[in-house]
Formats: sequence, structure tokens, C-alpha cells
Amino acid sequence: MRRGLLALALVLGLAAAQTVGNEPPPDLSPQVFEIAKKLRCPVCRGESAAESNAGVTEEMRRQIAEMLAEGKSEDEIIQYFVDRYTEWILYEPPKRGLGLVVWLAPVIGLGLFGLGLYSYLKTTARRAKELEGVSDEELARVEAELEEGEAT
Amino acid sequence: MTPGVLGDVGLVLAVFFSVVGLVAALFAWFLRDARYVRVARRSALLAFLGTLVAFGALEWALLTDDFSILYTARNHTSASPTWVKFATLWAALEGSILLWALLQTLYTWLAGRRMRDYWTSPVALGTLFVIQLFFLVNVLFVINPFTPVPNPPADGPGPNPLLQNHWMMAVHPILMYLGFVGLSVPFAYAIAAMVTRRYQTWVAETKWWLIFAWGFLTAAIFAGGWWSYEVLGWGGYWAWDPVENASFIPWLLATAFVHTAMVQERRGLFRSWNFALVTLAFAATVFGTFLTRSGVIESVHAFAGGPVGPIFLGFLLAILTVGFALLGRVSAEVRDVGSVSIWSREGLLLSGALVFVVMAFVVILGTLFPLLVEAFNGAKVSVGAPFFNQLFVPLGYAMLVLMALGPVLPWRRAHSETLRVVVWMTIALVLGTAVGLAVGWTLWVSLTVGLFLFNLVALGWLVWNPIARRSRALGGARSGISALAWSRRRYGGYLVHFAAALAALAIAFSQSYRLDVQKTLEIGESWRVAGRTITVHALRAVEEPHRYSVIADVEVSGLGTLHPRLNYYRTSRTPFASPAVAYTLGKDYYLVLQAFDQKDARWVTLRLVVTPLVLWLWVSAVLMVIGTAMILWPASRRSQSAARAGEVGV
Repeated sequence: MRRGLLALALVLGLAAAQTVGNEPPPDLSPQVFEIAKKLRCPVCRGESAAESNAGVTEEMRRQIAEMLAEGKSEDEIIQYFVDRYTEWILYEPPKRGLGLVVWLAPVIGLGLFGLGLYSYLKTTARRAKELEGVSDEELARVEAELEEGEAT
Repeated sequence: MTPGVLGDVGLVLAVFFSVVGLVAALFAWFLRDARYVRVARRSALLAFLGTLVAFGALEWALLTDDFSILYTARNHTSASPTWVKFATLWAALEGSILLWALLQTLYTWLAGRRMRDYWTSPVALGTLFVIQLFFLVNVLFVINPFTPVPNPPADGPGPNPLLQNHWMMAVHPILMYLGFVGLSVPFAYAIAAMVTRRYQTWVAETKWWLIFAWGFLTAAIFAGGWWSYEVLGWGGYWAWDPVENASFIPWLLATAFVHTAMVQERRGLFRSWNFALVTLAFAATVFGTFLTRSGVIESVHAFAGGPVGPIFLGFLLAILTVGFALLGRVSAEVRDVGSVSIWSREGLLLSGALVFVVMAFVVILGTLFPLLVEAFNGAKVSVGAPFFNQLFVPLGYAMLVLMALGPVLPWRRAHSETLRVVVWMTIALVLGTAVGLAVGWTLWVSLTVGLFLFNLVALGWLVWNPIARRSRALGGARSGISALAWSRRRYGGYLVHFAAALAALAIAFSQSYRLDVQKTLEIGESWRVAGRTITVHALRAVEEPHRYSVIADVEVSGLGTLHPRLNYYRTSRTPFASPAVAYTLGKDYYLVLQAFDQKDARWVTLRLVVTPLVLWLWVSAVLMVIGTAMILWPASRRSQSAARAGEVGV
């Protein structure tokens, strides 16, 4: 199943691990990757800017490292990318507007599925009770009639 | 005879015998004549053999570098090593659908051999014939790999280089398809049950196939994770990529069904819901193929690009329509009766199934939401790993709680003995969490540790209690331990649960305490990082027939020398990184060669990923497969009767 992803990766030139020219890529601290993980790779699918090897994401990681060196905070860095790419660049959908829908839907789904299960179990329990109730009454009546029959 | 002609002949024969089988199944059903079932079964074998001929013909073309047919001309190269040539058959769409068709005809034949009931088997066989005809007709008429090429090229481009980078390519797709296709058998039994109105027994009849398919799906998902870990070079095993999600959805639904099937078998409950679940699980396998093969993921507008998208979407809708149309009648007729206490095994099994269904819902939602928004609104949204991870944390905890309690509690109602066990489990949970927090782990990791111990106590009691009871009854520990033999299936289930708890632990740690860092080092330079010293000893190049590789020899102190490499394939401008991993019981050290000095070979740029406990994820995968095999392995006659005798007491 992975083949589809790999084929796409190829098409998009995602595997551009080697930089052009002969300059070594910058050293990147763990913090760079922590921030890059919160941004999406603009040209791939299913990969964050920390994971992808596309040229764009190498550039993004370089920018993050530079901004960290300038003393910018994580929020400022993320804001910089949001300004450039819109909120689409955030790997986690924002919890408002259209993004809120996708966050609330699982809760609603859990509620609906749970309610379905609950009402199903209510129904089967009610049926069980009804059956028991009927059989008790029937049993009593039949026993009474049998006793009467024996008495006569 | 050329491979192209042979392949077409095989496919035509396969289609012919599938039609014969389908007609025979229809005759058997409408004429109420069991002799036609035998005809259908034999046709199933012949259809399988026909598909096998087509499969063999394509392998023949690949192994002999015959470029006169479309598939080899587009996807093959004579420079590939033999195993890559063999596996190139499923490296592109046409071949993988042929493989799917082959496995489908195999399942139809094998399932047909096991069908004993002449009332339901015509419908079940007929359903399987319809499914296999869908794939065969597609391979023959729509995406035929044997289409002749007017001017055969001298050599082709070869398969995608990323696929040639690891031997898992020869294994993972086959496991995945065995799992996907396996779900068609429970589905066919379900259709037969709904048509013949025998709503109760199909679950028991089809359980073996369900768990068989489940085992392959599980193995395939873990194998895919390991493949991605070994090949993709970012140090992770699961990215919530749409392709991964497409394989995860059927697994989640099948897992839910495995558990609700037990409730139906034991208590006769949940009957209509089980039909819905099995239909959805099977439909999800087709949905996955639609999602990944139609191009809809790349862009909603790519949908019309090829014929495969609309065809698979049509097939998906047909499955859902048939399944749910029949279900409409069933739900009017089925009247489940019985009260379920939440504090009982069936109550927890159903709650567990609810958790898995909600998980499936979350995965479907997160995968489709960006597409739906783009299609209807034109806006672009990203729903990535952080979304799924955050939602799967609470769902995963719910799963860990339920999977420990479920097997401990008896059917119908809990009694005081089990309550004592639950008290011990809770003590383990609290202690584990407290110790985790004291060590300084995050709350989430500590909770996972606590829940792992919660499961461990439950499983320990489940294993120990029957042995102790039998030892007391029979006098002697040896006869007590022999109790293990007669309930091998149950212990298989426990082993799967243990492996799931272990996997949860591995996931919690590896997701929470991962270190990524990138550094450029001179040859001979040492680097102190993450408690190790990393030294680059040499940079060298190796020439192979199908690729050219640049390899760095990097020593990680205490763990030996690793060889991360960059592979250059003729068909690709850019190199493919092959990471090198030092696996340890604690932390994995994962090295990627990011770049190197192309002029003087004086420096290399390395990316280091240090992740704790990843190894245990692969251990848990092996345990799950062993557990599944224990459940599936046919019991010997003696232990079968012993098991029945033993069941009475439990």
C-alpha cells in the first residue's frame, strides 16, 4: 500500500536529499525539528516539514534554524510561516472556524455511536424483560389451571 | 507462445470459469440442487489456475526481460536484481490488481472447499465469484498488463527506486493483499446469511477466516511501519499518510468485528450490527484501493484522470448498496433479546468495539476532511499527524483499559473473585503511573506505563488462575501446566492482548522522547551526542549494476560501525537515502546520510534520530503473529475433546 505514496514522492521530487552546489547544509538542533514537525511539507502529502527531504522543507528547516539563532520564539517562527503560506501550513488544523469541525466531529461521532449502542442495549434488555414478564404470568396461570385440573 | 499471449489466455480462462462458477452457484440456489455446488467449487479451482497462468506469464515476461508488453515496457528494467524483477509484478497498478485477483481466486477456491452447508454455500460462493470477476474483468479489459507494445523498447525505466531500496517490497504488499482479500470471505458468508435468513451461525463459521485475514492485516501494517522506518529516512514508522490510513481503516473495523462476533456467538446479540460491521470492513479494503489508486488524494481533480477511480468507486458503492439493502430486511426481522450489564465481558467487548469504530471514524474523517473541504469550499486545510495523535491518545487509553478488563470479567455478570483481581490491577495502574511520574516521565507516558502494568496483572491472573486451579484439582503442578495445552486458543488471544499493550508502551515512549539532530562532520571528526560518540571514519563509493551508492562508515561508540548511504538510480536525478539503524533494547540510533562533499569528500552531513523502545514495536508484531497463529492452528482431535471438557468447568 505504500507504493502509491512512494510513487508520488518520486513525482514531486521529494527525495532531493542532496543540496545543489557543494556547501554543507546547516547544522540543525533538536528544537528545529520540534518546530518543523508542526508545519506541513508544502509539496508532499502525509509528511511534516521535519520528515520530508524535499528542497522546500530543507529551506524551511534552514530558516527555522536562522530565526532561532536570531532569538525568535517558536510562536514567532510559526507565525512567519503562517503569514507566508496561510494557516494551511499548520500541520494541526486550527481549533476554530472550519478547522473546528474536524476537531468536534470525533466527539459527535463518539456520542452518536455511543447513543446507538446504548439504545440498542436498552431495546434488547426491554425485550428480555417483556419475555420474562410474560412467561412468569403464563407460568403462574398454567400452574394454577393444572392444579385446578388435578383437584377435580 | 509469448508471455503476452499466455497471460491473455490465462485471464480469459479465469473469467470463463468464474462465470461458469457463478452460473453454477445460481443454479444451485434457484434449482435447490446441491450438485451444482460441486460444479462451482471445481470452477473455482480452474479459475484460480487460470489466474495463476496469467500471473506466471507476467513473471515470465519480467524474469526474461521481455519488453513486448505494456507492463514490462513501463515498469521493468533488465538491470534489476532477480528478486526485484520478481517483485516488480506488484510495483505498479496493473500487476498489483492481477496479484489481488490471484489471491481472490485462491481464497474463493479454499473457502469453497471448506463450505459444508448446501443451503448457504451457493450464495457465499456466488458472492465470491462476483468479487473475483470484478478484479479479473478489470485486469483483462481495463488495465490489461499484457497489452502488446507496437515497438518494444530495448530496456524500460524500471520500478520506482524507493521500492528497490528494501527487500520488504517483496513481502509487505503480499501480506497486505492477503489481509484485504481475506475479509471477502466473512463478507460473502454474511451476504449468504442475510439472503438465507440464517442470522446466527455464520459468525462461528467464518471466524477462522476473519482471524486469518486479521492476522495478515496486522502483520502487513507492522511490516509497512518497519519498512517505512528502514527506508524513508525520517526515523519514524507511522506518518498518518493517506495510504497508511487506507490500510488502517479495514484493520480497525475488522478488529471491532472480531470482538462483536464473540458477543454474537456467545449471547446471540448484536446480529444486525455485525452484518453492518463486516460489510464496512470489506468495503474499507476497496475504499483504500480507490483512495490510493484513483489519484483523488493528490487532488480531488485528479479523479477523472484514469478509469480506475470511477470503477473502484462504483464497486465500493455496489458493495455498500447490496450489504445495506439486505441489512434493511434483516434489521426488520432480527429481534435480539437479552440484557447486557456494562460490568460484564460482553459489555466490555461491545464498548471495545465502540472504541475501534470511533477510531476508524477518526481516521476516515481526518483523511477525507481536506478532500471534502477542497471539493466543496475550494479552501485548503491540513489534517496531519498531530491531529490523529491527539485523538488516539484518549482512545488508546480506553482500549488499554477495556482490553485488560474484558477477559478478566466473566460473561453476564461480575462476581466478587474478579473484583479482587480488578483491585490488584488498579493498584498496579496507580503504582506504575506514580513511579513513572517520580522518574520524571510525562503524565501521558506514565499513564501508559501504569496501564501496561494494569494489563500485565490481568493477563498474569488469567494465565496463572486456571493452572493453579487445575493443579489443586489434579494434585501437582505438571498437570496444571498441561492445562496450557488444551486452551491454546485462549492463550493465543491473551498473547495478542499482551503484544498490543507492549506496542502501546513502545508507541508512547517513541513518540514522546525522540531526538532529531543534524550535523556536518569532517572525515575523522568525533561528535558527542545523546550519550554516545559518533565518529566518521570514511566516505566511499560502490558501483552496482542497477545503482551507484555513496556510503559513509560511521562509528557509534559501543554499537559498532553503521553504513548510511545515498543510492543513485539511473532513472532518478536525485539520490535516495538508505538510513542505517543500530537497534538496541533501549534506544535506536538511526543515521541518515543527508549530504556529502562532492568535490573533495572531506565532510558529510548526518541526521541522527534517537528513539527509545522502537524495537519493542517489532517484537510486539512478532508476538501478535504468533498469538494469531495459536488461535488459528487446528486443534488435534484429542485436545479438542479435552478443550470441550475443560470449557464446561470454566
